[in-house]
Amino acid sequence: MIETELHDLSDDADYAASQQQGSQSITRSDSGRRSEPEGAEVVYMKDNVSIHPTQYMSERISGRLKLIKQGDSLFLTWIPYKGQNTNTRLSERGDSDRNNLYTIRPLPLTDVRSIRRHTPPLGWQYIIVVLASGLAFPPLYFYNGGVKEFLTTIKQHVSLVRSADDANVFIVNDFQDPLQKTLSSLELPGVVSVAAQSTNASLVASSSQVNQGRSDVSSYDSNTGSQSLRRQKNKSNDPTKDLSIQVLEKFSLVTKFARETTSQLFGENSGDPFLSNEWKRPSHSQSLPDLQSQPSTNDLEEVPCEVPVPADPMEFEKLALVWGKPRQPPMTKEEWITFLDSEGRVVDSNDLRKRIFYGGVVHELRKEVWPFLLGCYDYNSTYAEREYLRSVRKQDYEIIKLQWQSISPEQAKRFTKFRERKGLIEKDVVRTDRAFSFYDGDDNPNVNVLHDILLTYSFYNFDLGYCQGMSDFLSPLLFVMEDEFEAFWCFAALLERVGPNFNRDQSGMHAQLFALSKLVELSDSPLHNYFKQQDCLNYFFCFRWILIQFKREMRYEETMRLWEVLWTHYPSEHLHLYVCVAILKRYRNKIIGEQMDFDTLLKFINELSGQIDLDSIVRDAEALCICAGETGEACIPPGTPPSLPIENGLVSSQLEDEVL
Amino acid sequence: MATIGHNNLNAKLVLLGDMGAGKSSVVLRFVKGQFLEFQESTIGAAFFSQTLAVNDATVKFEIWDTAGQERYHSLAPMYYRGAAAAIIVYDITTQESFSRAKKWVQELQKQGNPNMVMALAGNKADLEEKRVVLAEEARTYAEENGLFFMETSAKTAKNVNEIFYEIAKKLPRAQAPQNPAGMVLVDRQGDAARASSCCS
Repeated sequence: MIETELHDLSDDADYAASQQQGSQSITRSDSGRRSEPEGAEVVYMKDNVSIHPTQYMSERISGRLKLIKQGDSLFLTWIPYKGQNTNTRLSERGDSDRNNLYTIRPLPLTDVRSIRRHTPPLGWQYIIVVLASGLAFPPLYFYNGGVKEFLTTIKQHVSLVRSADDANVFIVNDFQDPLQKTLSSLELPGVVSVAAQSTNASLVASSSQVNQGRSDVSSYDSNTGSQSLRRQKNKSNDPTKDLSIQVLEKFSLVTKFARETTSQLFGENSGDPFLSNEWKRPSHSQSLPDLQSQPSTNDLEEVPCEVPVPADPMEFEKLALVWGKPRQPPMTKEEWITFLDSEGRVVDSNDLRKRIFYGGVVHELRKEVWPFLLGCYDYNSTYAEREYLRSVRKQDYEIIKLQWQSISPEQAKRFTKFRERKGLIEKDVVRTDRAFSFYDGDDNPNVNVLHDILLTYSFYNFDLGYCQGMSDFLSPLLFVMEDEFEAFWCFAALLERVGPNFNRDQSGMHAQLFALSKLVELSDSPLHNYFKQQDCLNYFFCFRWILIQFKREMRYEETMRLWEVLWTHYPSEHLHLYVCVAILKRYRNKIIGEQMDFDTLLKFINELSGQIDLDSIVRDAEALCICAGETGEACIPPGTPPSLPIENGLVSSQLEDEVL
Repeated sequence: MATIGHNNLNAKLVLLGDMGAGKSSVVLRFVKGQFLEFQESTIGAAFFSQTLAVNDATVKFEIWDTAGQERYHSLAPMYYRGAAAAIIVYDITTQESFSRAKKWVQELQKQGNPNMVMALAGNKADLEEKRVVLAEEARTYAEENGLFFMETSAKTAKNVNEIFYEIAKKLPRAQAPQNPAGMVLVDRQGDAARASSCCS
């Protein structure tokens, strides 16, 4: 049976490298040793190898991974850096406790059963170290690369054999009949019950994220899932138990997906993904016997793999780590006050923006908070300073407004540009959100206010003038700010960022659509290839999304929520592009499966209006943004709207610390 | 382009015209039988489809409804490229929209598919008391430029189905012996040639 695992590995670059560099010495050592080896030689060291302690990608503990050789024995250690802030608002335990919990003290490689390497198309390579006992350490993410060297180094000192079932699983110390091991680990009731229990709990959080892409879980993933599952055993007194169970649980989830997917795909799968792809959460009664009855290693090979739609390459990531942080309720007045000092300054604007990013603000607060987000008020300003600024701005607004109010009919006759602009604005304000109560009915005065602000703006920014879509931006601003002049200044501030959307040469829109195509290419190359094949790479079907920041895609309240979230510029000032990617990925199966061409795609996308679930899409977008990291940012050319406001230097440096 | 399968024809149709002329309203009346007094502006473009039965054949219109503002003009070729038909819409209550319509006609004559069936629609015909553009003026212009002309009202539904029906009848049908489409095709080419020579 051993020969099934002793595969020819010559096709594997990592393996080939190891073959060249090292001799295959199989070493055994005293597995009882746990203390720091003396006179040891560090044969491998890598910084910035990190774990995600809570399944949220934004929480991270970084440390140093080492392989230490002492005599004939090889040890692995991973020590988190001291004093680092894992920064989470959600965490309750002290950081030092947490870090201790995850520390890997010198671990003899003889205790390691296998190392699973995962190379996501987007994000960082990670490994999962599975112990002979069946326990697994949490995934170790190599933020500075180095997985290949890591495996190569191990290969130089101990036996490392690639698994026959999965090219990414490297078996250490493989002396046992693999089938035997498989069966024995599967029959352990402890594993099953714990896994089933916790799986159920975690599904509540993740089911809405996974349901759309569910059918993407390919047989490839299901293999790796079962692989790891088979190698797990439970051990109750180990501090890493919780984490290993999480890993186990996620893998079991994958397996389960694969099976359900298969039956769905070849059974009832048809038309509407909203209905047919609704994920049925497994109950205890289903999952228990299900897991146990999985009879042999061949079980999963029976899963047909003629999935009609190429798999979403990030689907596995979604399952391995919970996808984005849960959204919070909107920030209340009481919370808002805690962000202000006695004179009204925002003490920590990063903290504030982060809070708003994760939940928005209650509607009554918008009038107060939006001007900060839009850059109308400095976070460091006091109540008194803002009061003064208000009075100045009120006057300034009146002065600009007078510029067009003072144009007599006689002058207007000789002022074509003015008449044209006024005409454009008149045509648009009467059809802007007229179904919304604030603007409905005949002779609604708010419609006139819209008109006056837009015409005043077209004088304030005469070069840009008025362009269709601007009234969409203004409408919620006026609704929130109520005062005409305050709405005007908020609008002017917003257009400092999104004004290039209305450039005559469409350069602002082209830049964003281009960045979007790059981001899709990065995060879902099959989808990118599909768009390419359909000659859809101009992404004009997303034009409306970007031009007015999803204003036409959601209900009024949701638009306001999304906007305040986007305006935090946390975790990226281009989060709106990741929102686009998130929506496209959510419907990728439908788009590809139904072979939509450009026309059909545009129609489909326009008709998504009102059907986008804001919270889960923002969550997806956040996770995509974090996964894409610097690679994602590199997809977005400098100067792509919305342009950088002043505080953004802080955002990026803060993000480096906090999120990644 | 119009494509043919047995008795079914797929035809891409684009609506062009000044903003607020009623392009979206005309489409929505035709496709959904709806009319909204304050139809929101079109951002980017919208796509609709509707099938009409003409004699013993059906024509499935794939309709592109575009944003009207001059600012978005640069996007238009993407939408009219390959179109088999176009409806150029103006608002009978504004002279500017009629001028804009003429510019669209010129552009299509230069840049569009030479066999394109073009219709000129004087919309908002229900607003007789606010009329600025005379029907006769528009009709003359249309005849001179090889368009066919109708005054429509998306609000009252006047001539909306009719204009699409007329287009459907005029679409060239290759290898359709019962249909004088060849004539239409030749006429259209002649028109296009004449128009482009005078404009260029």
